[in-house]
Parts: sequence; structure tokens; C-alpha cells
Amino acid sequence: MLGRATALRRGLQVAAGRTRGPDSGRGSAQPAGLDPALLGLLVCPLSKRPLRYEESSNELINEELGIAYPVVDGIPNMIPQAARKIEAEPPHPTGEESTQS
Amino acid sequence: MAASIGAAPCRTLFRRSCGKRLSAAWGLLGGARGLVAQGETHLGFQTVPEAEKEQRVYQVFESVAKKYDIMNDSMSFGIHRLWKDILLHQMNPYPGTQLLDVAGGTGDIAFRFINYVRSQREYRLRQKLKSHQNLSWQEISKSYQEEALKPLGGSQVVICDINKEMVKVGKQKAQLLGYTEGLSWVVGNAEELPFDDDKFDIYTIAFGIRNVTHIDQALQEAYRVLQPGGRFLCLEFSQVNNPLISRLYDLYSFQVIPVLGEIIAGDWKSYQYLVESIRQFPAQEEFKAMIEDAGFLKVEYRNLTAGIVAIHSGFKL
Repeated sequence: MLGRATALRRGLQVAAGRTRGPDSGRGSAQPAGLDPALLGLLVCPLSKRPLRYEESSNELINEELGIAYPVVDGIPNMIPQAARKIEAEPPHPTGEESTQS
Repeated sequence: MAASIGAAPCRTLFRRSCGKRLSAAWGLLGGARGLVAQGETHLGFQTVPEAEKEQRVYQVFESVAKKYDIMNDSMSFGIHRLWKDILLHQMNPYPGTQLLDVAGGTGDIAFRFINYVRSQREYRLRQKLKSHQNLSWQEISKSYQEEALKPLGGSQVVICDINKEMVKVGKQKAQLLGYTEGLSWVVGNAEELPFDDDKFDIYTIAFGIRNVTHIDQALQEAYRVLQPGGRFLCLEFSQVNNPLISRLYDLYSFQVIPVLGEIIAGDWKSYQYLVESIRQFPAQEEFKAMIEDAGFLKVEYRNLTAGIVAIHSGFKL
């Protein structure tokens, strides 16, 4: 059944004739990238300002407020409580609770 | 009814259901949907601090996520599929529509939307080809190629849910069913949507808004992210108008559903919360007034299945 679903999916993609960036469904070997179509739509839920996508740490960063929202398995987590406060030093992988405005 | 379920836990179930029946009766008589203290809100028939509700609801859905679809089918005998189909028919989206499905969890509305738009596009293509009888084969193959390149005609649906587990289940379902394009998943709070103003053509929230702590905030956010001319659609459990059906429905809700929840999902409390939260949700007219307060115009509702479920619709004009 999984084989048929994969074949179906591949068939659909071929028919579509365009690739959609990193295919986050194809097994766990793929990096969990962000869907480019979403990037244009997303803003910070707190300040409604645009976000910057950081490839290296896989996060969406709001420079003004200094917070970063994680992207897990290609799904951005835009809950303010999940955001990490960015200090001046380079980001480290552990997440922390951000302070609410 | 409890006796028919099983041997061993039967007596405890019966005793538990008696207690629940009492609280249900109190709820129906005393108007448990009455006043709560400042800073408190309803969690089913309990009263909890507002800050706690979101966390508790999150836990409920986290616990039921994997069995959510099976439970929906069992509880409603599959009728929930009809309700969602009717919602889509009322929505009647055309190719090119941008849909935001909030509390979309396992993706039922989103998948139906994609199917609908796809079949609409095929239908229009067929009509177009039929009306142009003297097309050359090159033109025909070109129009089929166009259709293959953009099977959705530019439609897109963004599914937003506050619960990571539900989104995970939904994404797996999408991959299994072969929905690859036109679909985006976001974890976000309906009260604080991570989208800019005037972005979407249609906003739907199916069986989600009663779980939101501040419904008025969610409605205001809905108004904000919709484009002018955009449509708000809410499919939600509501109050039954017929007294006989209401009695049967209450019996079914409080006696059968939590038991089903225990058997199928191993979670009595979550489904107890479910049926209680349905009773706490405002009735059709009151909810309509709340939607109007948020700024929507031409707000209407239509009852399905004698009012067990209602579809509220409003426009941002």
C-alpha cells in the first residue's frame, strides 16, 4: 500500500511537471526544509512583521523582536510560546521559552 | 445501554455514567453555560482559569490525535463526512481560491477542497473543449497540458492547527492519500494567526472554534486575514431545536460517546470533554451575533441534522 501511494505521488508530481523544493515526504533522509510557498505568507503572530528564513538552523527569524520560530519536519511552529529568544551570540540548537510581550 | 458494552468494566462504567448523567442533567436544567468568574472559562462543564484551558485542550487533542478519524466515524456513524461535504458545497470554491483552514488538524476540509477544485477544473476544461468543436489537435493537447501543469488552477490551502500531533497525523494522511501540492501545514494559534492582513479568500474552521479560549479573538483574526469579499465559514456543533431529538441526542452523547472513546481511543475523559464542550458552545443565534460583532456582514446559518451541527457563514465586505 505504501508502494502504491509512493507511485501515485510520483505520478502526480510528474504530471504536475514542477518540483516543489525539498520533498519532505520521501523518508527521513531528506532535510526538513520549509515550503517556499509558505514563506511569502507567514508573518510573526505577535507583531505581524515579515520573517526571515534561516537555512542553517531551520528557523524563521523576526529580527525586530529577536525571536526565532522553529521549523520541524517542514512544518513551521508559529506558536509564540514555542519561539526562541535570540541573543547576540550565534544560535544553539536547544530551544527555550521566549518572554511574551 | 452500558450493559451491552462489556462484562468486567460494566459496573464501573454504569456507576460513572450515572454520575455523568447527573452532571449532564444539572447542565441542562441549571444552565451551566451561565456566568463564570472573571478570568475563568468553561472546559466542558468544569470551570477553569483561562490560562489553563488552552493547555488542557491541547492535551485532549494530543491524546486523541491518532484515533481522531476513527472516532469521528464511529461517533457520528460516518455522518460527519456528509456534513463536511455539505460545507464544501456551500463554499463552492472556484479554481484559484486561497483557503485558510484553521483547526484543520487531520485535513478533512483541505482534502475535500482540493478534490472539489480539481474536479471543477476538469469539468470546465471539458465544457470548454465541448464548446469549441473545431479545435485542432494541437490546441486540444495544449489545453490538456495546461491542465496537467496547473491541476488546481492556482488554488492553495493552508492548514493551521495549534496542535503538533494533529498536524503530524494530517500530514501523514496527506502523503498516504497522495495530496502533494496546493497544501501547506502550519502550527499556529487561531487567536494569533501568523498571517498578514487581507491574505485569504476563504477561512474555514470545522469543529474547532468551540475549543478556542477566546472565540471573539479568533473571529477578529479571521476577519483580519480575509480579503475584502472573503468568506468566513464555520462548521460546528450547535443546539438542537427539536425536543425529542434533543433528548435522544443527549442520551447518546453522555451514555455512548465517552464509552466509545474509552474502547476505541482508550480515553474516556477526552470524549467526556468533547460532549460537554458541545453543550457549552453558544447557540446558533448567539454565535451569529458574535460573528457580526467581529465585523462580518450577511451572516447566516443553516442547521444540519436538526441542529446537531450548524454552518455559519459571513462575509468581509
